[in-house]
Amino acid sequence: MLARWIVSFAYFLESSRRYKRVKTSIYNLLENPRSKIKPYFDALIIFLVVLTVSILIYDVEHRLPYHFEIIENIAISVFIFEWIGRFWISANLRLRIIKYYERKLELEQKPKFFTLLKIIIKQKLQYIFSPMSIIDLLAILPTFRTLRILRIFLIFRLFKIFRYTKSFNSFFKVLNDKKFELNFLFLMGVFTIFLSSTIMYVFEGGGENPKIHSFMDTIYWSFITIATVGYGDITPVTLAGKVITVFLVAGGFLILILSTSIVTNAFSEKISIVREGKVLTQIGKLSNLIVIFGFGRMGQILAEELSKGHKKFIVVDISDENLAKAKELDYFYICADASNYNTIDNIVFNNDVKKVVLTTNNDALNLSILLTIKAKTKDISIIARANSYENIKKFHIAKADHVIFPYQTVAEVAVEYIGNSVKFDAIDNILVQKDSITIDEIDIPDGSEYIGKNIKEIGMDTLGVTIIAILKNGSNENFVFNPSPETYRFDANDSIVLIGEEKDIFKIKDEISRQMI
Amino acid sequence: MRKIVLFGYSKTGREIAKLLLNDEYEVTIIDENPMLVGLANEEGFFARHTTLKDDKVLVEVGIGNGAEVLFCVSDDDSLNLFVTLSARNLDKNLKILTKIIKKEDEKKMLLAGANRTISPYDVGAAKAFRIIQKPKVSKVLNQLSALKNKISISEVVIPKKSFLDGVHLSKIDISKDTNLIFLGMLDKELGEKFIFFAKGINHKLDAGDILVILGSRKDIRIFEEKLWKLP
Repeated sequence: MLARWIVSFAYFLESSRRYKRVKTSIYNLLENPRSKIKPYFDALIIFLVVLTVSILIYDVEHRLPYHFEIIENIAISVFIFEWIGRFWISANLRLRIIKYYERKLELEQKPKFFTLLKIIIKQKLQYIFSPMSIIDLLAILPTFRTLRILRIFLIFRLFKIFRYTKSFNSFFKVLNDKKFELNFLFLMGVFTIFLSSTIMYVFEGGGENPKIHSFMDTIYWSFITIATVGYGDITPVTLAGKVITVFLVAGGFLILILSTSIVTNAFSEKISIVREGKVLTQIGKLSNLIVIFGFGRMGQILAEELSKGHKKFIVVDISDENLAKAKELDYFYICADASNYNTIDNIVFNNDVKKVVLTTNNDALNLSILLTIKAKTKDISIIARANSYENIKKFHIAKADHVIFPYQTVAEVAVEYIGNSVKFDAIDNILVQKDSITIDEIDIPDGSEYIGKNIKEIGMDTLGVTIIAILKNGSNENFVFNPSPETYRFDANDSIVLIGEEKDIFKIKDEISRQMI
Repeated sequence: MRKIVLFGYSKTGREIAKLLLNDEYEVTIIDENPMLVGLANEEGFFARHTTLKDDKVLVEVGIGNGAEVLFCVSDDDSLNLFVTLSARNLDKNLKILTKIIKKEDEKKMLLAGANRTISPYDVGAAKAFRIIQKPKVSKVLNQLSALKNKISISEVVIPKKSFLDGVHLSKIDISKDTNLIFLGMLDKELGEKFIFFAKGINHKLDAGDILVILGSRKDIRIFEEKLWKLP
């Protein structure tokens, strides 16, 4: 009976739109790394932590005015809300319950109440005892203090700050790889301290040294000595004690040097991974990202143009030599093997990527990346470079959205030079070399004053631009070549393709956007 | 027949050769790599395996001896430079077009005597950029090139005593009765400087000036016929 209730409640939640909406907004607030609101919430939490801890410090020597309690109460309510929110979204219980129920249904068995309970408790306990949850709880619990001593636990709130800093996580990840070496050194340290403090205690603990009263004193002494701090409050008085000190200092030095070098080494080994993690986080926040595979000559020029046009892009190449230039120009880049699925997964599928440009000089690699992406999604538009004429067809079969065969295009430009009529496609490249004249497009949005008027009425014939064609409805394939200035009248969603000086084209675009306000 | 020398049957050279495959041109293909020469011959071109390091060979293939244009598009940059330099030395009026790999090489090549440099990577990148930044422009360009009566850009020389010789641009409407777009012109007197018509510059047309026009092949041909019809 109880089991039935739980299951039907799960179904009810599953069908409730409002429930899902609330849950999504909580997820956006607390966990979704891409949401716009999360950074503000994080900042609020960090502010509250710093504020309450500062009050704690102030409290030591001063009497707090009464209303300071209110701040504490507000902070704690936010922390509790945060923890409950995370607790709620930590696992998708209703889906698990439904899945369990449906499996039971297939087997023609009845759902058992205790199994359901086990699922629920197991999932939620898992969250409660996760390190992040414990940190959160430690920040909340000291409020319900009965003893003043518990106040000191408020300091654990500072740990909460780490929760929001990604670099802290990568720091531990780096050290994790050197676990074996660090464990060994730790053991060595413990062993050395234990050994030396025992010997010291045996020789000087029996009243020979007036400063040593217990075993704890010698442990303290060993530690201060091994760490090369050497306060000098406890010093050996017997010969045996002095000999031990010499060995202890030597051993301590070794351990210190080794651990320093291990940590530095770990970082220099992992610096690229740490950097890449950072780059991936940064690009994760961007929308409409363009990915350029291959940073050879063509990739470099494309990147240069894109950065001039303020487009967001990331470069992927395996050669450090090629990437040196990307580093110099401060582009986003990742050094990785693009034939590896994980690389594409991390960079393309995990981010908001709309366009991919393949510019490597290896057709097999370009095709492999192309097929990997197209097999997963059709939404990403891919521009591929073909390096041999024979392979162009293969790129089309693999559904590349655009194939560029640079050698053919450059040949068209070259042949133009001898005065032959050339394919229209080469026009851009011909014009590029002549002053600031460019070929561009202007959209006429719905509601523009230009609609229904002809080119002469707008006065575009005197603006210093030449209209080549009008593309109807943007995506539609019908267009008007060389529209007549008198008879052609603009429609909504027309796109004008025109040639002119950059500043003149900009003037027209500016005028249109002014109309729309 | 216009004589053209193509040095280097590289990927770029191969595409140029394909485009020049008609009766108007007599193309001599030269390459230092016997493999590429073999490939060119296999694909129906006449190619010679020789080096252009010797000036005698250059004269033999027509440099300073009837050739109008030289394409230096081999895969070896320093060789391109050397051939450009030697050819310029032999013929002051030869049109030389040299392939470069790096932008930094452009000045060097121009200094060596090339009239113009081209880089397949620059062109490829420009095309990729256009697809990203100006998708509609690319769409229109693709559509225009795919049309049956292909639309192309053409340079037309104004002949002596034609109806355009000596007239002021402001006085006539040259685009009247043609479905052509007049982009601009290269003025002989101003050292082939490109003048963009839409700017409304009042300019006098002379024989020898080159008009840059855009339109279908048929329309361009009709216009040319009209131009050559003497009064």
